Order: sequence, then structure tokens, then C-alpha cells
Amino acid sequence: MPKKAASLNPVLLEVFKNRFASICEEMGMALVRTAFSPNINERRDLSCAVFSREAEMIAQAAHIPVHLGSMPLSVQAATQAVSMQEGDMVMLNDPFQGGTHLPDITLVAPVFAGGRYPLFYAANRAHHSDMGGMSPGSMPLSSSIHQEGVIIPPMKIVRQGMIREDVLELILKNVRTPQERRGDLSAQIMANITGIKRLQELVHKYGPGQVQDYGSALMDYSERITREVIAAIPDGTYRFTDYLDDDGHVEHMIPISLELKIQEDQVYLDFSRSADQVAGCVNAVRSITMSCALYVFRCLAMQDIPANSGCLRPLRVKTRHGSVLDARHPAAVAGGNVETAQRIVDVILGALSRAVPDRIPAASQGTMNNVAIGGENPADGQVFTYYETLAGGMGACSSLNGASAVHSHMTNTLNTPVEALEHSFPFRIHRYKVRRGSGGKGEFSGGEGLERELEVLVPCEVTVLSERRAFRPYGLEGGLPGAAGENMVIIQGKRRSMPGKFKVILSPGDRLFIKTPGGGGYG
Amino acid sequence: MDLLIIGVDTGGTFTDFLYNHGGRWRVYKVLSTPDDPARSVLQGLEHITRVFSCRVVHGSTVATNAVLERKGVKTAVITNAGFEDLLVLGRQNRSRLYDLFYRKPDPLVPASLRFGIQGRIDASGSQVQPLDAEALDGIVQSIREQGVQSIAVCLLFSYLNPGHEQAVYARLQELGLPVSMSHAILPEFREFERLSTTVLNAYVSPVMSGYLQRIKDSLAPSLLRIMQSNGGSISVEQAMQEPVRTILSGPAGGVVGALHTAGAAGFERIITLDMGGTSTDVCLVDGELPLSTEACLSGLPLGVPMLDIHTVGAGGGSIAVLDEGGALKVGPESAGSDPGPICYGRGRQITVTDAHLFLGRLRPDRFLGGEMVLDKTMLNQALTIMAGQAGLDPLQLAEGILAVADANMERAIRVISVEKGYDPREFTLVSFGGAGGLHCAGLAMLLSIPRVLIPVDPGVLSARGMVQADVIRDYSLTVMLRHKDAFCEHLEKMFRPLEQKALHDMQEAGFASGEVSLQHFLDMRYKGQSFEIMVPWEPGENKTDKFHELHRQKYGHHHPDREVELVNVRLRAVGFPDKPGPDLLPHAGPELPDEARLGEAKVMFQGGFCPAVILDRNELRPGNEFSGPAIVTEYTSTVVFPPFARGRVDHLGNIIMELS
Repeated sequence: MPKKAASLNPVLLEVFKNRFASICEEMGMALVRTAFSPNINERRDLSCAVFSREAEMIAQAAHIPVHLGSMPLSVQAATQAVSMQEGDMVMLNDPFQGGTHLPDITLVAPVFAGGRYPLFYAANRAHHSDMGGMSPGSMPLSSSIHQEGVIIPPMKIVRQGMIREDVLELILKNVRTPQERRGDLSAQIMANITGIKRLQELVHKYGPGQVQDYGSALMDYSERITREVIAAIPDGTYRFTDYLDDDGHVEHMIPISLELKIQEDQVYLDFSRSADQVAGCVNAVRSITMSCALYVFRCLAMQDIPANSGCLRPLRVKTRHGSVLDARHPAAVAGGNVETAQRIVDVILGALSRAVPDRIPAASQGTMNNVAIGGENPADGQVFTYYETLAGGMGACSSLNGASAVHSHMTNTLNTPVEALEHSFPFRIHRYKVRRGSGGKGEFSGGEGLERELEVLVPCEVTVLSERRAFRPYGLEGGLPGAAGENMVIIQGKRRSMPGKFKVILSPGDRLFIKTPGGGGYG
Repeated sequence: MDLLIIGVDTGGTFTDFLYNHGGRWRVYKVLSTPDDPARSVLQGLEHITRVFSCRVVHGSTVATNAVLERKGVKTAVITNAGFEDLLVLGRQNRSRLYDLFYRKPDPLVPASLRFGIQGRIDASGSQVQPLDAEALDGIVQSIREQGVQSIAVCLLFSYLNPGHEQAVYARLQELGLPVSMSHAILPEFREFERLSTTVLNAYVSPVMSGYLQRIKDSLAPSLLRIMQSNGGSISVEQAMQEPVRTILSGPAGGVVGALHTAGAAGFERIITLDMGGTSTDVCLVDGELPLSTEACLSGLPLGVPMLDIHTVGAGGGSIAVLDEGGALKVGPESAGSDPGPICYGRGRQITVTDAHLFLGRLRPDRFLGGEMVLDKTMLNQALTIMAGQAGLDPLQLAEGILAVADANMERAIRVISVEKGYDPREFTLVSFGGAGGLHCAGLAMLLSIPRVLIPVDPGVLSARGMVQADVIRDYSLTVMLRHKDAFCEHLEKMFRPLEQKALHDMQEAGFASGEVSLQHFLDMRYKGQSFEIMVPWEPGENKTDKFHELHRQKYGHHHPDREVELVNVRLRAVGFPDKPGPDLLPHAGPELPDEARLGEAKVMFQGGFCPAVILDRNELRPGNEFSGPAIVTEYTSTVVFPPFARGRVDHLGNIIMELS
């Protein structure tokens, strides 16, 4: 266990914790307030973080957990592939080179303060509502990465303070809503500039050595607390397996298996017995698996510690290259970041429930219920793409019922208000309410899912990517599982059941009706 | 004129009365009566007003407390069918990301009292499905049977077309209950925030009405006005209709008081620092009161415009702990007044106040004018133990506790200044509240703020602000205009009904149309964005230029070629009541009177003790000058002047601290 270096002062440690956190938050505010698509500014599907010179994450604002463990790999990929000078900024989304899935674009900026080498990196990631590919919204039922959209390897989008218009133009030509993309990317660039400015001010005030020392002290700090959390869990080996329903193509019942070993203040997570990678789009790259592990142990800390690379140090994560949790190019990965990530968390929590049952809740809805809709708006002749995720039930725990209709685990996006949605898109929402009776029964009941019914007013192409339509969210200690989700379309007044993953063309007046899963019960 | 003007602030342990009679300001305090707040208010007013007719401005915490303690009335809500659970759904997100046991706040209205009704208005304001008026019979019946005391109505797009809400309202009249309609309370888009605001209004309305009626009856025929969270006052009748506008009005009084006091002293651009026992409120005022529409009270959004006050959990009672990872944390947990800091005699955990006492910055014998003696004996032991764990000596630890508390407040001030494009170096810090004076110098140094103003009677600045507040009514409407060319021709037409309503309301409040100032604002954004910037507008003007400019100032970039969207129109009507000016005090020279010097003490500044002069504020006179290190004490507060600071008393009795 790292000991506190004698020269580090507990007062300055707290002061720097405060300052790094507020820099990330300010970057997030800059991005949210000036982005051009509802997916970023209303739903806040983004993350901002600050990294050390060695590309270790010092602090991340409390945005979206699934970005936690994967952001450092983006920064590593950027620094390895491109040599950055002052005024440069690198962009990437390639899942096999630091990315997660194509809609998530990460921008990495070096922070110089005089010297020849950067002292820090500022980075932010935002989910763009379309990156081209076979389906509007770029969350397709694909069987290869090449169907999912534009792949951007780490490359400079800003060079010496100037946006590279030719590069940008190449990307914009390949997406459905180029103006929105351009606006969102410029908001992302500004967010990084905000981060650079604040970090430079900090260095100016305290000197580069001290700021870097306390940056690394903060990672040690989170590591110490994480190790104490792990040490409090009884030593032993705990196993758990849960399943993905299907891959949207041919595979069904895809096992995610974990052998979790606690040894003093160290934890070994071995996922190598999970399924081979599949043809459909639910493959996850390894960084997503890392994010999930980091998320769970960050939650167990139960106090306000910086979510940074220090939390990862006591975790040894083993995955098998070519498996569904460590996919190999050119696997389809659109759903790995959203759906598979939720299942990985369920499996880690399931294993931990065997060690510390009082501290682990039953399964939450275990899906994000991704809906992407594209079409042409007759009002202005413009092509639109819309993307949303739907909340569901949270799992009950040893002392409380689960919360209803809320996003859980790896996501925390907001909804798009109905009045904003109907103003911007040719849709009408007819139902948006709690799905009663969907929470798993038990001494404490799981939270309820929700029901949403959406009518399209113009011809639209709809893609739904959802899970927990077959394998229900588990209960614990005798609690019953939550209800499975249900997908339906109502075409010309006729209701039709749909699978968990589907694509359909709807005509004006047709409706999409989704019921999201409830959480598992406890006891 | 024998009119007595009284500000009444029930915010704290004491109910403060500040009144002006015959050109002189006086302070009166009565112990608050939280079980029945009206009692202390009436008791104090009776004491002051035995003889005179008066004008009273009252800042009440009744509505705020009703929400915090969930002691509002049984409320029903009517929404569109299919949206009955909107209060529970919220925005689908959770406020704590890493909490496996996260639970939402309970909705103010249970499922059995949430009713849905068929009928639909679309995003253009057109009816696409008529209201199912017959279904209202059943709802009315059910509301009657369940003993409901107040009703909220919120239907989709009612800000564009209130027809359905009005029809529901007409039908509900027979129940004789107060009804809050969303298009009247907050005619703006985003259904959840509008619903939440409307429900809050309904929930506290009967409680607030009963309370205000009682005070009004006792005061009649004197004039009673009520403080709002937007920094202005309204008539008591309007406060009964829209009590949601009084929620969180307490801190607003302090900001208005600071604005007027600093303005009279010649400082227009201020940052307020109101540091109490458990929390600190900060607010940046650049000549105009800053407004926000994104407030929240115990997890419930509140969309009416409010002063943009940022609160942080750092106060005199904030507890210092060394956490498992080895960092020194201060707050947000607070020892409050019971058990209080260790030096109060019963506390066990080290607080910010304890650290001040240990460093000599608080005088043990001068606390609350000497009414309470602070005890250092227990403190030495507690600090020594924690210092050992931290690897520091006790003095370093005590200074560290103050540094961490300062860092927390610095972060709060950075959020409202630097992060919004303002440079703190151009502002004056106005410090008040019980603990402000102990931290203002250190904070000013951290942020390079050149000057601090400590007003006369800093403990009753909030009551002073209530007396000085203008009568203000805010109106808004979501219009969602997409096209540039639609601006000018439509704008005046859109403002007209708002102006008519404003002039009507202000007339009821006692201001003829010629005495009312109407301020127009446009909430604008680039098409696709979802946060608006409030841009001042004069009739006849085309204001997209100003919007681009403000966007650049706030966010560092702008896009003149992109389409601008007009989201809301806002109108602020201001009436200016007679306000007595500040007391003018005779000027004395720079020399301190002997009575002001209470002695000397050893005080720790930046690692070393140095002798500081102790001054009695009550004996300081306008024109007096002094330099740090110095400690200025008065009944409710202590101001610390570090060695680098200089102090002077201005012609109004304010202390001005200059930092070099």
C-alpha cells in the first residue's frame, strides 16, 4: 500500500482535490452549455477529465461512469500515436485504438506551461447523436465495425490553434447531421481550452512540480481508500455468471462469467471464461470492462473520493482477447458500451454479493434501452437523427426498496423533455409513466421500470438496442427478479411484439411502445 | 412624515427587525419561535409599532420550511393522461452517481392524488385532441372524497395555449380550493420543471396564506409586503397567490442589502460573502441583480427566477476530519449550535470556530459581546491528537483547517465569477454573516480581490435589504421563435399582454403606470443549444448582435453565422417605494479614539504569531484609519485584518479593508 510521502501536506491534498475537481466540472459546464445537440446539452452524455503527463487520470467530473476507465486509454492512444505541440488537439473514436464505440468522440489536449513537454492533458468525450454508418443514430444492429460509421484514429483536429478544416470536412461528409456535429465539436474544443487555461493558472500559482506531485498524490489517495475497501471484504474466490439475451443476429444466451478473487487489499477479476466475441453489435472492447470494474469499486468506497486511475491500481482485470469482453477488430461494438457494460456490472456485483451480501443491491434494469430514430423533417426539409435511452428500476438492497424509473450504473443521462422533443422532432409522446408491478418482489421490492409510447409524424427509421427482454434482472437473498422489458410497435393500429434488438420503418401515425425492466427484489 | 419602515427577517435564531424612524436606523431582535413563526414577528412588531402607522417588508421562511420539513398540505395534481407519474420520473437521472443505494426524494403528491386527463395541445400550440371535460367529474369527485386542500394543474404546452388548463380550472372552481396553474405560475417549456414548480406552489399555498393573513390582520391598516427570492418584494395578496416566489427568499435579503450598502459607499460591482454557522452564500452582482431559473430545494426543481446565489457547506461550525486517505476535510458536516464547536463547551469535534480561537483570531472574552465565554482547555488536547495523526503541529493544523475552509469558499466564488467570465480583481467583496469577517481577508487574497466592505450592523443586513428592496414582479413566456426575421415584428406584440398584466399588478401594489419601470429581456440561444442567455432588450431593437457578444463573453466563442433561437420573453416590472437613506455620521479624523482600543493579543498569521491591536467597532468613527494586524470586534461578528491589510471607516460607518 502506498504510504503518504512525508513532504505531502494533508491540507494541500484537500486543496488540490478541490481544484482538480472544479476544473473538470467547469469543462463539463462549458461543454453542456454550448453544445448543439440535445444528446449532449439536455441528456449530458459526456465526460471531462484531467490527466497526468503519463496519461493517468487525476480527476473526472461526476458525469458518465462508463467513460471512467476508458478515458485513460484514449489519452494513452492519443499520446502514443501523435506527437502533440502546444495548441494541438487530438481527436479519436476508434474502439480498437483508445475509443469505446463510434458515437463517443474523445478530444485530448496537451497542457504546456513553458517547458518542452506537456505537464498534463485535458480531455473530454461526448456522445454524438450520429456518426454515419448503416443506421441513423449510429447505434446499428451491425455485424462489423465498418457498418457503424466513420472511424477516426487518433489524429490532430486542431493544429497550432487552428481547426483542420479538411479533416473536419472529411468527417462531416460522412455523417447525417453535419452542422450539429460541427457545433458539438467546437463546444468540445472550447471545453478543453477551458481546462488548459485553468491548469496553466494552477501551475502558475503553485509551480509545476507541486501541481504534478499533488496530482499523483491524489491518485495515491484514491488507491489507499480503494485498498481499504477491498481489505474489508472477506478473502476468497467468488463466481457469478449472467447472460446477454442475444446479439441481434444469431447468438442467444451469451454468458458473461467472472471469477473474482479477493486477496487482502488486492482484487483479481478473471472474465476469461466469458463467451467468444459474437457477430452482432454487443461486443465490448477491454477498456469498457475496465470502466465497469472501476465503477463498482468506486461505489463501494461510499465516500467522496476522486474517481481516478488510483482506484484502478488494486484491480487486476483479466480478459481474453477475442472474447465478448475484449473484442478484436473488426468486431461490431455499438452496443458494448451501453448494453454489455451494464451486464458486466451485474456480474461483478453478483459475485460480490456472495462475499458481502448486506452491501450489494439486487440487479438494476441492466440495459439502457437505446432508441435511435432518423428521418426527414418536412417542416424544414432537414434530415434529423434522434437518440435517447430510457430509465428503469433499480435493484432493492438489504434495507430499502429500489428506486423507480431512474438510470442506473454505467449511465446517468437526463431525458429530453417532452416539450423540447416535440418542438425539435416530428414525434408525439402519448405515454410516459411508471410501469407498475415490474419491480421484483421481496422483503424489499425492486424499483419499477417505465412505459413510453412515441408516435412518429413522418416516415422514420427506428433502431432499438435493448437487453433484459429474456434474462430478467436477478433478485438477491430470495428476492424475485424484476420484470423483463418489452418492446412493441403499433403499426396501423395493430400492436406487434418486437425482439430486444430490432430495426423497423414506421409510417406517420405508427407508434413505438417500450416497457423497461424493473429492478430485482431483496430478501 | 411619521411613516415607520420596518424590515423583518425570520431567518435565524433571532427574528431581526430593522426600522427607520425620524431618519435614524434602529435594530430590534426577538428570539424566533419556530413552532409558530408568526408569534415572534407579531411580538416584535407590537413592540415597535405601538404608536405609528407603518410599512413592513417581511422575509419569511414559512414556505421554505414547509417544503424542507414536508409540512405542506394534501395536494392533488392534474396532468395529461399518460403523464401522471411525471413527478416521479423527473429527468431520469440520479443526483449521486456512485450510490448503489440511491433513492429519489419522495414526490410531494402520492400516486392516488395524481390524475390524468385526455386532451392534447401540440408544439405549435394547436389542439390535436379536445379536452375530455366529462372525465373531470370523476376527478372532482375523487378530490372531494380524499380531503385534498390544494390542486396543481400542469398540461403539456400550456405556455403556448392555456385553453385546456383554463377549462380544467373553471371546472375545479366548485371545490373552493386554491388551484395553481402551470401557465400562470411559470409559462415556460420543460414540463417537469414547470410541473415541479407548480406543485411546490400548490403544496405551500394554504400554509403561507394562513400565516400571512394572520400577520396582515394584526397589522391592518399598515402596509405589508413580502420578500421574494428574486430580490424584490410583492404585495401580501400576490405572495398568497404565488408563495413559490418566496421560497429561498432569506439569502436574497442579504444580497439586496449588500448591493444598496455598497452602492451608497460607491462600489457597484460586488461579490457577497454571507458566512454563517453551517453554510456560506456567495453572489456576484455586476450592477444588476443576477437571476437564475435553475434552483432546486431538497431535490425539487424550482423554475421561477431567483437571485443566482451559490451555497457551499462551509461555516463556522463546519467539522474538520482527517479521512482514511490522509486528506484534511472541513464540512459539509456541521456541529451547528448543539453540540456546537468544542470551545462552546459541549462539542467533541474540531470546527472552524475552534481553529480561529486557537490561533487567537477570536477573542474568548468578546464573543457575542462577552455574553458567552469560549473555553480553550478541551481544544488543545483535541488539536494535538489530530495534529499527530496528520503529521503537523497543532498550529499548522489549525491554520490548515482555515485554509481548507477558505479553499471551499474560494471554489464557490470561482464558480460565480471566473467560470462565468468575470475577473474578481474588478470587484469588492462585501462580507457579512456571523463568520464572514474571519475569512474575508484570506479569501480576498486567494482571489486577488483588492477590497472588502464590512457593512454597518452586518448581522441584520438581510433585514436592511428587505427595507431597501424594490417592488418587483417577473413575467415570462416561452415563445420558441426559430427565424431571425420573426424577431422584431413579433416581439412587441408578444410583450404586450405581459406588459398589461404587469401594469395591472403594479397598480394593485400601489404604483401608477408612470411610476413603473418595465425591463425587457430575451432568452436566446443558438438553434440546437439548450441553455439560454438572458439578453436585455429595448422595444424596436434587433438584438442578435448583443447575444453573440454575450455568448463570447460567457463561453469564449460565438457563431455569428448560426441561426439564433428566441426561447423566452421576460418582463420585469419594478416599482420604487420610498426608502430612507443611510444614517449620516459626523466625520472624525483618521486618529482612533482611545475608547476603541481594547488591548493587544498575539495572533497567528501565516505561520508566525504577531501582536495585533483589538478594536471595538462601536467606538470607531467615520474617517478613522488603522492597519493590520488588527481584530475588530462587535456584537455578532469579528473582523480579522492580517498584517498586509489596511482599514478605514467610511462616511456611512462601513469598514473598508484594502489589501495590497
